[in-house]
Amino acid sequence: MNPKLLALSAGMLAAIPPASAAFTSGGTAYTKRVTTDLLSDSKALAPVSAHVGYARKLKIDQIKGVWLHVKDGGNVGWVFSGNVSEDKPAENQGMDGVPLAASQTSATAAARPLAPAAEEYADRKGLAEAKGDVLWFEANSDAVKSEQIEDYLKTNHKGEFQ
Amino acid sequence: MRSLLAFSVAFVIAGSAQAQFGGFDLGKAVNNVSDLGKIAKGATGIGPEEERTIGGSVAIEIASKYGGILHDEAISRRVNLVGKSLARYSSRPDLQWRFGVLGSQTVNAFSAPGGYVFITRGLYDMLPTDDALAAVLAHEITHITRRHALNIIARNGAFSGALDLASQKSADVQKFDTGIDQITKTLFETGFDAPKEYEADSGGRQLAITTGYAPGGLRFVLEQLQANGGDPKKVFSTHPPLPERIKRLPADPAPPGDPAAAH
Repeated sequence: MNPKLLALSAGMLAAIPPASAAFTSGGTAYTKRVTTDLLSDSKALAPVSAHVGYARKLKIDQIKGVWLHVKDGGNVGWVFSGNVSEDKPAENQGMDGVPLAASQTSATAAARPLAPAAEEYADRKGLAEAKGDVLWFEANSDAVKSEQIEDYLKTNHKGEFQ
Repeated sequence: MRSLLAFSVAFVIAGSAQAQFGGFDLGKAVNNVSDLGKIAKGATGIGPEEERTIGGSVAIEIASKYGGILHDEAISRRVNLVGKSLARYSSRPDLQWRFGVLGSQTVNAFSAPGGYVFITRGLYDMLPTDDALAAVLAHEITHITRRHALNIIARNGAFSGALDLASQKSADVQKFDTGIDQITKTLFETGFDAPKEYEADSGGRQLAITTGYAPGGLRFVLEQLQANGGDPKKVFSTHPPLPERIKRLPADPAPPGDPAAAH
């Protein structure tokens, strides 16, 4: 076989999404967003069958490639393995073990500019130019919206669109 | 060699940019945050507002020291598309993730608490495909999601004491500045311990795979670095040597489309 083709074939094989090795049928997964959609089929564009909240423990009863069929009480459906976590979200409790509400975690963080204390730090240190750069960086980063990420994922067959 | 040296530091920076807070009195420094009461810290924890303040301050220092931010909207868009795609499937998908390229021609990468991820122009130019770019960004993302730096801070007794003072809302900017100074001074002197670097390697690889990027992206980048010459033992004086890191990664082939895959 042509070495180039061999290398390309190996590369393509490597790019095939692996089964969700970390998850097991009968095991558990945890939600990590404020809201996670459960779908009626193992396809990214399937209708939503249920919504579950933050840090919910889901029971996995079936695995199909990168998709998990899960249950949370009466809520049942498929979820892409990348949309759930093997471990309970760390922000579910503070570093001292005190339980936190979801509203106190970054799961509800809205896009905000540089923290005032960080801006004041830059002013004290005479780093006005760097502060301006970081503000530009933040604005340009925030300009890439979730809809554009979704389009990128679809176009490039990433995430649940693999 | 200069580039190699800088690149060798790259995979450590995610931690070192955040570590070494020492007696950092963050709680006082965030006194201007109006919703301090919402900070999720309990007695000693570090909440999102504190993390955001640390990250923003460190980001300013990074920009200052590494050639500023490259004002190229096309590059910024590409890095954010790839980075935010990865972050979407990380364990902290709703963190305010931001990705950018520094103007420096050295080969380097940085991350700071709160979702700030940077790579230098020198490194960006070495990443020919999204698979390679994703590999580097995923490593940095993992340092943040695993809270490597924040865990170091949380174990620091002086820091715990400082957080107790946070509720008083009395500003002590000197301690805050000292904490940030400690971070920036140690960027290239210390970093996470080897297990945390290996954890970022493996965690980043898994994140790349989950997102749909080639598993061999990081291995490809590290092998390219090694092939570019230099003595890894010397340039990785405080970090795992390149051969050791490569050895710990599965023998994945180079990503399709990368030059190495075509030869």
